[in-house]
Amino acid sequence: MTMRDDERGRRRVRRGRATDVLAWAAVGLAGAGLACALAVTLSGGGSVDWEWAPTLGLRLDLALDGLGSLYALLATGIGVAVFAYAIAYMPWHLDHEGRPRAEAARFWAWMAIFMGSMVGLACARDLILIFFFFDLTAVASYFLIAFDRERREARGAALMALFVTGVSAVLLLLGAVLLYDAHGTFELRELFALAEPGTTTTIAAALIAIAAFAKSAQAPLHFWLPRAMEAPTPVSAYLHSAAMVAAGVLVLGRVHPLLTRSELVMDGMLVVGLASILIGSVLAFAKDELKQILAHSTISQYGYVVVLYGIGGPEGAGAAALYVVAHALAKSALFMTAGAVTVATGESRLSRVGGLARRMPLLAAASALAAASLAALPLTIGFFKDELFFGAAIEKGPLMQAAAVLAASFTLAYIARFWLGIFAGPARAEAARVPALLVAPIAALGAVSLAGGVVIGPFAELAANAATVTNGAPVELHPAYHLDTRAENLMALGAWALGALLLFGRPLVGAAARAFARAGDRLGPRAIYRTGVIALNRFSDRVHDEEVRDLRNSIAAVLVPAGILVAAAFIFTPTDGVYRVGSVSADDLPIIGLLAVAALAAIQITRDPGRLRPVMALSVLGFALAAAYAVSGAPDVALVAVVVETVLTVVFVGVYARLPRAQRQARERGRRQGPGRNAIAGGFAGLAAFVVIWAALSRQPVAEGDAARQAEAAPAAHGGDIVTVTLADFRGLDTMVEITVLAVALLGVATLLRRGRLW
Amino acid sequence: MSVVIEVIAPRLIGPALILALAIIVKGYQDVGDGFSAGVILALAIALRYIALGVDRAEAGLPILRHTGPVAVAGILVALASGFFGVLLGDPPFTHQPGPGEDVVHFGTLEFITAVSFDLGLFALVTSALVAVMHALARLVEGGES
Repeated sequence: MTMRDDERGRRRVRRGRATDVLAWAAVGLAGAGLACALAVTLSGGGSVDWEWAPTLGLRLDLALDGLGSLYALLATGIGVAVFAYAIAYMPWHLDHEGRPRAEAARFWAWMAIFMGSMVGLACARDLILIFFFFDLTAVASYFLIAFDRERREARGAALMALFVTGVSAVLLLLGAVLLYDAHGTFELRELFALAEPGTTTTIAAALIAIAAFAKSAQAPLHFWLPRAMEAPTPVSAYLHSAAMVAAGVLVLGRVHPLLTRSELVMDGMLVVGLASILIGSVLAFAKDELKQILAHSTISQYGYVVVLYGIGGPEGAGAAALYVVAHALAKSALFMTAGAVTVATGESRLSRVGGLARRMPLLAAASALAAASLAALPLTIGFFKDELFFGAAIEKGPLMQAAAVLAASFTLAYIARFWLGIFAGPARAEAARVPALLVAPIAALGAVSLAGGVVIGPFAELAANAATVTNGAPVELHPAYHLDTRAENLMALGAWALGALLLFGRPLVGAAARAFARAGDRLGPRAIYRTGVIALNRFSDRVHDEEVRDLRNSIAAVLVPAGILVAAAFIFTPTDGVYRVGSVSADDLPIIGLLAVAALAAIQITRDPGRLRPVMALSVLGFALAAAYAVSGAPDVALVAVVVETVLTVVFVGVYARLPRAQRQARERGRRQGPGRNAIAGGFAGLAAFVVIWAALSRQPVAEGDAARQAEAAPAAHGGDIVTVTLADFRGLDTMVEITVLAVALLGVATLLRRGRLW
Repeated sequence: MSVVIEVIAPRLIGPALILALAIIVKGYQDVGDGFSAGVILALAIALRYIALGVDRAEAGLPILRHTGPVAVAGILVALASGFFGVLLGDPPFTHQPGPGEDVVHFGTLEFITAVSFDLGLFALVTSALVAVMHALARLVEGGES
């Protein structure tokens, strides 16, 4: 080993250690969050309600109430397990991808943000805050799904997830704005008190529900979730159980009192949920890749929760809350199992592995607990989730009962296929030893699932408190084992029997499921999405070509529609007294002179075929106007006009220095199109601008209203210059937002000019 | 490039900085604000880039290479002066001292938070424009070499 290699190796170790510290810090953060959430929950919850910008209706309204506690505990608790698992998994993943281990730093940062945004969403009770955290989870998930950014599939999957959940999140904002328009508040408790059943409430509730459906990967917007499996396994484990996908049903649980105001939305939830259960479980049966099976299982499992929210009432709300807990515990453990199996064998398909129970007994036992919990077998917390689910279905009638039994049997069948396929049967792949940290979190989650099956009390209380928030009235949950022939037990027995039947008819059922999957691939929403994206891309290309290739078109595209709008306004609004012709006095001579110079310069610009001379003429025009402002008593505007005009001239000259020599062809093409079109477009736009400016100048100076009040208030704000005071004080927030936009835009320009590198 | 430009242009930064600061200091009583001041200083810096080229311009004035931190500092100053009122329970952009209260003067400079907001704006505008100039100038030089 040469000295340089030695040095490099040492540096890599040092950087690896820094990443280790970061990783343990993330675990510590999750642990501290869990401890805090637990402490606050046990002491009865807590809340903050702070109207920090009352003029804009913005407030920080966060509460660790029943629902908030449940999801915050899940996000931090599952977070501890998944983060600990990732400490062992990420080095393997990066080695496998051939990347330096230090890149895990990005993973840890985004995971921490992911967890934080989920906790924030759990506590938010204001629609704007909910929207904010909702989108923050989408952004974090984008970077996590695209963690292997060299791989095209990962980037595509991340973009799809961001696209589907981000666009639908806009619907959530739309619903929030509708409600604000009607009731003047974004605060949910106030909205619950104000919103009456009606069209507005129905539309707003439906919009919010659609956003939640997309987030929770409900049909027909489910297709992004299976593709998101491109992410590293810890991301999948977290995304499916406690973050992102859980965020959708969390929002449903949070705004549920609004949803109940509309029969249509409630029935819609039943339909969407049942369709998702069906599609998810059939496809889970058809898939061969381990993570794909689990992804489709998630679609179906959140379908249950959506159905339960659609049933509503104390039973539905309580069952939904317990369902989320049981599912999160089981699903994160199963995902981590799939990852551990892949680390051990290098295989990720069900048909390539088998018989691992003998090699990895602890992993087999731990994931058996998780699988049993998902399949609702007794002695696991999952049994109670189905007991409550069946109980709620009974309230809704026999049709729902039959659907519930069918759904439960499918769940049992596909999860048994998953577990048996990995751990039973003949051994198909060699299994290497895996680090203990890859198995310990799974064992811990399995143990919690088991503990919940023995002592359900604390979990039931947690779920009941969450359901109380959802339901708007106290909810009591008493899940327990009953050794009698009540309907729930009979339904469970029926589901197990049917599930076993499905499992034994595996070849037949599998073939049918695969046929369904193929049909879905060809005709399903994912195909529609692909076609839509391609069409959108093509449309965008065409618009880009039209606009960018020809400067004339892009200018006309702005000026002509503007002119048309003004003409329409001119026709449809009364013009009596709007246009006045004033008198001209000797004092106005300087302005007239300056405007004449500006007009001459403008004519020169249109007629000069050269390059630099029109720029100079443009600059003359600008300075003449600036001088006109100064003369007419607007020195602030004049100052800004002068500096901006100077910058513009410098930029023009600088850019012209870079331009290649004029192409004769281009000039000839311009001539062939003829000056007629230019004259028409320019004349039309100029006339429109003239009409507007004349109308504006015809008005008397404003003596009352906002402007006058602000001019009067300026001395009180210790300012003599009304423009500056307005910018910095009266409209300070606007200025702040503007300069932020400016900074971001310039950052983008600078990055583009440097071909993607920031500095 | 004529000698006159090469000698004078780089030395215009000093006067431009004085002018910019004067605009900010007087800004709250008189014409001008942080934005104009920032653009004026940026123009002087642009002249320096044009006269000397990127490398020489930045070798003599190394701060031009650190526009990123200056821009961030500007945003932070602006944010802090806009939002510290929130901590006192006021809405954002409630400047201190409030209406009718006494203001500490230093010449014509008034110590009010609106002025520090303007200073942040000034830093941001200047450094953002310089950052773009730097990138553009590099592009021009790269294209020619």
